[in-house]
Amino acid sequence: MGLLTIFATTVAVTLLIHLVPGDPVQIMYAQSQGTTPEQLEAIRHSLGLDQPIVFQYLHFLGRLLHGDLGYTIRGHQAVLDVVLQRLPNTIALAVTALAIAVAIGLPMGFAAAYWQGSLLDAGLMILSIGGIAIPSFWLGLMLMLFFAVDLGWLPVSGTGPLNILLPAFTLGLSNAAIVARMTRSSMIDVMSQDFVRTAEAKGLPRSTILVHHVLRAGLVPVVTMLGLQFAFMMGGAVVVENIFAWNGVGRMAVDAIFQRDYPLIQGFILSFTVVVVFVSILLDTVYALIDPRIRRS
Amino acid sequence: MDRRIGLWAQRIALAGLLGATASVASARDIIWARYGDIDSLDPQRATSTLSLQVWSLIYNTLLATDKDGKPVPNMAKSWTSNADGTQYTFKLHKGMTCSDGSTLDASDVKYTVDRALDPKAPSVTKASWGPIEKVEVLDPLTVRFDLSKPFVALIPFLADSFSSIICKSNKDKPGFGTTAAIGSGPWIFKSWTKGDEIVLKKNPNYVNYGKLAQNKGAPYMDGLTIKVIPDPQARLAALKTGEVDIAEPPPDDVPAIKKSGKLKLVVAQNTGQNVFWEFAVHRPPFNDKRARLAVGYATDAASAVSLIYGDLTHQEECPVSKGTFGNDPAFCKKYRPGYDPAKAKALLKEMGYGPGHPLETNMLVWTGGNRDKLAEVFQAQLAEVGIKAHIQMMDIGTMNARVKQENNTKTGIGSMDMMTWSWYDPDILYALWHSPGAYDGFTSPELDKMLEQTRVLTDPKARAEKVHEVFKYLLENGVQIPLYSPGWEWVFAVRPDVTGFHVAPFVYPIFNDVKIAAAD
Repeated sequence: MGLLTIFATTVAVTLLIHLVPGDPVQIMYAQSQGTTPEQLEAIRHSLGLDQPIVFQYLHFLGRLLHGDLGYTIRGHQAVLDVVLQRLPNTIALAVTALAIAVAIGLPMGFAAAYWQGSLLDAGLMILSIGGIAIPSFWLGLMLMLFFAVDLGWLPVSGTGPLNILLPAFTLGLSNAAIVARMTRSSMIDVMSQDFVRTAEAKGLPRSTILVHHVLRAGLVPVVTMLGLQFAFMMGGAVVVENIFAWNGVGRMAVDAIFQRDYPLIQGFILSFTVVVVFVSILLDTVYALIDPRIRRS
Repeated sequence: MDRRIGLWAQRIALAGLLGATASVASARDIIWARYGDIDSLDPQRATSTLSLQVWSLIYNTLLATDKDGKPVPNMAKSWTSNADGTQYTFKLHKGMTCSDGSTLDASDVKYTVDRALDPKAPSVTKASWGPIEKVEVLDPLTVRFDLSKPFVALIPFLADSFSSIICKSNKDKPGFGTTAAIGSGPWIFKSWTKGDEIVLKKNPNYVNYGKLAQNKGAPYMDGLTIKVIPDPQARLAALKTGEVDIAEPPPDDVPAIKKSGKLKLVVAQNTGQNVFWEFAVHRPPFNDKRARLAVGYATDAASAVSLIYGDLTHQEECPVSKGTFGNDPAFCKKYRPGYDPAKAKALLKEMGYGPGHPLETNMLVWTGGNRDKLAEVFQAQLAEVGIKAHIQMMDIGTMNARVKQENNTKTGIGSMDMMTWSWYDPDILYALWHSPGAYDGFTSPELDKMLEQTRVLTDPKARAEKVHEVFKYLLENGVQIPLYSPGWEWVFAVRPDVTGFHVAPFVYPIFNDVKIAAAD
């Protein structure tokens, strides 16, 4: 299933990128006075760009089976090296952002569910709607302005251990809002179920019921969503990486698309899909740990 | 949406200017932030301005340009050519060294040119070297270029970083272009993290023979780091906190920066950049010269650019910009269709257009640098005379492809575009308009002939006359209607503690004179 997803994505991307006008050679040298038309043709030929898309794709697949992702059109560097140099940065950003989203969203959602209908519940949910509605480019600039420019606590941009905080919070905060809402509705759902009522009837302490029964069962849908959110965050990283000059694959992909660097775009999509598929599989295993019912089936 | 972002950008800028500026650490490198990264460290493998600027720091060139853009001696202390312009002899300075300590002499020059013309893997700017047949080392300090026919654009080319002299010791270096680059420029290459930063340290042996720096020796600062910060607001924020010393500010913030006086602005002169109208000439309406001229008469470039960019850029009268050989505003003004709406209306009427029947066209404009706003002003100016222009914004790569496509399309409404090129010699007009043309656009046998002449006339006066003939032809026929110059990334914001930063012609920043005051 995972492999099929990866395969389908590479096909879709190859087709889509060729629909955009302009080929990489034209874009790279269109404004170079010293490149002759014959030279452009020769460069195109050496890159295999004069072949039909199907052949180009098959060629890509053929090399892929040998673990070779080809070379970037700009600068002629191994695509695998270029991607691997930056993929860890994006994963680190997405993981940190996810941790922030969970650390903030989960207690918020849980509290809102616990005191359902209270003023606190209403307040938290209004806050979370705000969180969802705020666009990340705006939030990012505001955080940068406040924490880096005004307070001078954090660096404005770049790639490093301290530099990760601002982009991770930018990505994490809006996702925390989603986690909070999801946790709340899931918890409320579980709280009204029969087994909770039975536990209450047995006279178990409320804290035991919440931690052992409600939280565990209520977490399953939340974890499912976290998997999806991880994929969204990898995608959202494109915007945030640009704002904070975080040297990840998202920013690389944007440049590659503008330059029509086909091998690099394919390499990006492939690595991206592999990470997302891998995370989904990982989460499937986590469900089983949380919810014994899934393990049994 | 754009307006909203702009508004917020202004608020952010204002708030930021009020905010505290962090203190700067003493004894450190110069940090220069740009919007993008280089393509390669190999001067024969890329063509972007971002790459060129970095090559100019690592490598040196045979000749250099003075502040007016004219070629002057540099590594070559003198040069001579034979009467018919097919042989150039260069005398080199004695005692030059490469950054790895090896001697730099005529053989390195030969290595560079041979490599550029290598039939197996020629330089991507091979044609700019001209018809060089062979390069001969006459003695270690004398090198001769033999050409099959005259090519006068060679001299300005040798002053540009496209012709950077590559030390022959690079030959055996694995990773030349990505992890290694041995040159003889003011800075020595240390490392390149793709997409993030390029780290350079000063070349202690550097001698400045002809580059536009006052400092005749090695740079004052120990190092120079070139960072990639794509977002303009982030660059501005980094300037304010002192993370960055020099960067291009967001255009909308320039007035606020000027007003606050907290950052200095350096505006590049003689950039060689030119922005102009051109048209899809193989179908109506722009196959008719009257339609092209009508656009010219309807366009008030001077007030449009002043409205959007203030005094940062100016209307350009000639097909090549100020600082480029042949540029002569007084001459061009005589032939350029200047702002005259009545004339535009009359031409349109003659063609059968009028109220209720406007001339309809797409207007292609490349994104960034507030050009969307500029396009709206032009759109309004064209509407005044009855031209209905539909603005289409796209990235420069897409636009290049679209222009070519439009020139090969026979049907549909008209197409005009705000094109831009940057070059150090009027030979650019050859690339643009000599058949088949850069975009399969306008060509004609008489123009071809004139353009060919501009390449071979060795007498500067005779060449200037021929170049002017080309200007006259292009302007009178509405082939290329100059709009303004410079066109992009020509404004630098500099922190107050940085002194000595300036920009040479053709947007080459010079860091040799830079000093950064130590913090208290």
